[in-house]
Amino acid sequence: MMQAGDRGLLWAGWSVLIGSAAIVVAVPLLMLMRTSWVEGRGRLAEVLTEPGFGTAVAHSFELSAAATGLAVPIGIAIALVLRDPRLPGRALWRVAVLLPLLVPDFVLGYSWLRAYARAGLTSELFGFAWTGVQGPVGVAVIVAVSAVPLVYLIITVGLATRAEPITERAAHASGATALTVLRTITLPLLAPAIATAAVVIFVLTLGTFAVPQVIGTPAGFSTITTRIYADLTYGSDPQTFVDATTLAVLLVILTLVVVAPADVLLGIRLQLSRTSATDLDWPSGGRIGRALKPLGLAIYLIATSGLPLVALVSAAMTRAVGVPSTPANWTWDNFLAVLTPRTGEALGRSLLLSFAAASILLILGLITAGLGRTPAGRGVSVLITLTLVLPGSTVAIGMLLGYGRWLADTVAIILLAYLAKLWALAHRPISASVDRLPLAGLRAARASGANLATGLGTVALPLIRPALITAWALCFLTALHEVTMSSLLYGPGSETLAVVVLNSADLGRVGVTAALSVLVTAIVLLPAAALWALTRRARA
Amino acid sequence: MSRGRRGFTALAVGLLLLTTGCSQPATSRSESITLYTCVNDTTVQPVISAFKAANAGAEVQLFRAPTGQLNARVASDVRSGGLRADVIWACDPLTMQDFVTQGLVGGWTPQTDIPETMRTPDYVGIALLYMVAITRKGQPAPANWQQLANAGKVAVPDPKVAASALGALAYFGTDFYADLKSKGAVQVSTPDDVTTGVAQGVYDAGMTIANSAYAAAKSGSPVTVSWPKPGAVAIFGPVAVSKATENRQLAQDFASYVTSQEGQTVIGSSGSYPTLPNVPGPTKPENAPTVQPDWKTLASEKAALLKDYATIFGG
Amino acid sequence: MPDVLHVRGLSVAYGTTTVLHAVDLSVGQSEVLALLGPSGSGKSTLLNAIAGFVPIRSGEITLGTRQVAAPNRADPPERRDIAVVFQDYGLWPHMTAVDTVAYPLRRRRVDRETARDQARDLLDRLGIGQLADRKPAHLSGGEQQRVGLGRALARQAMLYLFDEPTAHLDAHLRDVFLGEIAARQRETGAAAIYATHDAAEALGLADRVALLVGGRVIQVGTPQQLYVEPVSATAATLTGPASILSGPDGPLLVRPDWVRFGGDRTGVVVDVWFRGSHTDYALQTTDGGLLLRSQATPTHHRGEQITWSLDQAWPLPEDH
Repeated sequence: MMQAGDRGLLWAGWSVLIGSAAIVVAVPLLMLMRTSWVEGRGRLAEVLTEPGFGTAVAHSFELSAAATGLAVPIGIAIALVLRDPRLPGRALWRVAVLLPLLVPDFVLGYSWLRAYARAGLTSELFGFAWTGVQGPVGVAVIVAVSAVPLVYLIITVGLATRAEPITERAAHASGATALTVLRTITLPLLAPAIATAAVVIFVLTLGTFAVPQVIGTPAGFSTITTRIYADLTYGSDPQTFVDATTLAVLLVILTLVVVAPADVLLGIRLQLSRTSATDLDWPSGGRIGRALKPLGLAIYLIATSGLPLVALVSAAMTRAVGVPSTPANWTWDNFLAVLTPRTGEALGRSLLLSFAAASILLILGLITAGLGRTPAGRGVSVLITLTLVLPGSTVAIGMLLGYGRWLADTVAIILLAYLAKLWALAHRPISASVDRLPLAGLRAARASGANLATGLGTVALPLIRPALITAWALCFLTALHEVTMSSLLYGPGSETLAVVVLNSADLGRVGVTAALSVLVTAIVLLPAAALWALTRRARA
Repeated sequence: MSRGRRGFTALAVGLLLLTTGCSQPATSRSESITLYTCVNDTTVQPVISAFKAANAGAEVQLFRAPTGQLNARVASDVRSGGLRADVIWACDPLTMQDFVTQGLVGGWTPQTDIPETMRTPDYVGIALLYMVAITRKGQPAPANWQQLANAGKVAVPDPKVAASALGALAYFGTDFYADLKSKGAVQVSTPDDVTTGVAQGVYDAGMTIANSAYAAAKSGSPVTVSWPKPGAVAIFGPVAVSKATENRQLAQDFASYVTSQEGQTVIGSSGSYPTLPNVPGPTKPENAPTVQPDWKTLASEKAALLKDYATIFGG
Repeated sequence: MPDVLHVRGLSVAYGTTTVLHAVDLSVGQSEVLALLGPSGSGKSTLLNAIAGFVPIRSGEITLGTRQVAAPNRADPPERRDIAVVFQDYGLWPHMTAVDTVAYPLRRRRVDRETARDQARDLLDRLGIGQLADRKPAHLSGGEQQRVGLGRALARQAMLYLFDEPTAHLDAHLRDVFLGEIAARQRETGAAAIYATHDAAEALGLADRVALLVGGRVIQVGTPQQLYVEPVSATAATLTGPASILSGPDGPLLVRPDWVRFGGDRTGVVVDVWFRGSHTDYALQTTDGGLLLRSQATPTHHRGEQITWSLDQAWPLPEDH
């Protein structure tokens, strides 16, 4: 397949890949490790034996396990419910379940508090509150809820490609009832997708910070990530700073060890190509089932997304804490306090930055996917997963340590941080799609006179377009509501929206924070809606 | 590569360059200083504006973040070429003392009438936080701190999170908190959480900072604010000049400005309590008593104190 | 004995597109009905409706004495006395051949060991007993199809539905298939519907043939009836090689074996194909193009002027 003219393209691809990996990921990681090693290795024993460290590690793993254990079955259930072609309102449900993806996780955590904690919405409306929400159980539930959409997406793809309708029809025609089909055919065929989903969620939740911090810390529940943050907050002396970097390095090592079967992460193919089966080929449930399914979906969505968001808006509109949320007490003041020219500027900058980040990540993701089957390519894939799992504060510190001398206070350093954190997010959907490229099509293009580049561009790219759009959208939205790294790396003239959020939230007023959260969510929803419309047209 | 792809890449690269370029400061370094602070925007912005108005041609580049991020930023600076701030305005003396110990700031302070209790040879306190008592409307407000324990369900902030709470801990000592805990008190995270909790009726009373308490009361939350005897615990936020600054004159001018009558007035009218006597500031009852923790001892005893405290409310 | 299958006024639609229009069909005991039609005629949809994979818009479907489908109610496939052999095999990637064939038996509560033994027997009879422990990924197309057939046979149903099952098979395998089905018919009176687009196959194995075009049944009859007396030009071309001549009273159907060399009509040989056991000629005449089949080796060549005559012809009714 390789010809003389291809070498240039390959060479270009490899240099971009290795170069980017070095700049964006390797340097910050190495700087962190160096600081830990040079300044901290003497303290390693103390860091490890410090009271609470073992607990924090245990908590991190317990949290990931619990969140995974909750999110995966729910995601599977939702995917199975939503494939019924005659489900009333199906198009709407398929969008609604993706809502938690769009809401920044600090907003999600905060809105759950406003909904279910003492003196929250349920308390005001129905007189009961769920005190457990402010503690480990609440953290696990909220983290799980925010992970469900990702599981749903992965399983849906698995259903389309592995558990195609014909396999279920054959089982029915062989005498199996719906439940038996699920047990003997569907779930076993979904096993690879389920495994992928579990690993992805587990790794992602190891590095989750905002929810444990907002919800868990007041109840004394600590994780490795909150401990890192506490170290940074608590101490301005070098020792605790180094302790923080040591903890970060430990987190990276732990992640590597736990997911060392790297093939589990990399080998499982998420197949995103279309199959010959259409949506209509899936069985539609019985009449009772068809009535219950929307009901179940509605209850789930209201409880996990609807009520919290309502509580959030309510808090944003109420003029003071402790007064009932009635029209007499409603005010726009909180929103007005938030909508300043600085906010507008920061918003514009955030949009630009997110756009640039997503676009560059698309190219990086493509190259990584294209070269991903080689040993070096696999190495890069593992590397970029590490920055995915690192909490944002440590990625930011790594960037400062590596590039602060030249790039401090510029937008470039924030961009680099986004690239580091989100590269794996772009790479995943694209590489899954690339895996399933039909070789025959590419060969036909070559036989018709196209070189490798043209062949890829004209044959391969159109086929993976949905995956490209998905990857771009995911990166754009995540970058847009990224808080932790931006707030550490920004300088005057490079403030992002999230920085404005954080600075204002530090004022501590419930109303203003809620107003900001509503604003940030709304701002994310608009481009998301546009992207969704685009995806619909691309898929048509 | 198809035309579309190429165009897209060009666009992305162009955006990258654009955003990088956009962030270059417009003025030359000698007319600009960089300020790192953890103080709220509502106080910092007016101060900067007023300073710029009084010093035509001066620019102040601001980095503002919560204490944790501020610490991380300073530490990262140090390991990548040196502190990039010309002036640091911290939220508590302990953080600043750490910076002094590392040799990053200090060595000079401006001439000012700010009391000795709030200054050292390396830094000067320019804004104050007061720890006061907040009570749900309808409940009796504690007249002195010892009565707080009997006020019902009480909330206190976390000294590991808020320097103001740390200051209070230093002043009261762990016995005070042990007593609170034995009567059912709860530790929350920040002073604002205390305010919110009391306003919502989750707690009956608590210890929080005056700004937060008065803001809640003003917006209509059913709370009352009191300054229990022997006094509200005062935590001052100091300003210091970087030792390695390349803009020493302007940096010192800034420090002088914020310690002057004019600067302190701006601070006072922005919602923070000024440190200079006789400058108007936010609500403070006539002759309200205040007390100061012993910062010098606290600096060396911080770890031990927190360890002790952890046995009361958990780590 | 009641019909195994009775379909009355069946209409099936996907969204706003109607795919089957008021189809009437019946299959009797031990009967093989071939469903013949071009791609897109609705053959698969009809089978899917009978099997219970798609809902119906109007009409009803009765299997034996039980009504299994009506517009507002339908029995699920597992409760219909049917078995399906899929065009794309429909095998389960994670199951071995023996477990796949044993699956329907297990659903009838046969214990595991017995089911697997019976499955192995079946696989033996189908000639792939030695592949019992392989998964689909390690089986060729033909072997997979045989596993699919075994699975359907294991269901022991009254009606077998075949959706173009031999598209990927050679002639020998086709005979194995038909042998197994014939055995079943004798044993249990089971019937079969065989969907195909191959006229020769349909005519060869069916007791009756139903022609499906554009979602409508245009003719049902014995293979002979369809071959000799199709109801329209469309039906004629679907059921075998056909030439339509313009005769004095309208179009005439002429099958290649109804034409012979020699006679009072003239024509030119346009093309010659030697097929081994016979030779096909394409002739050009004043009444139109004509196909001629001769049981001899080629005796005429391209461009030659020849004479021909008809042994029989069938006047075609108006095409509808």
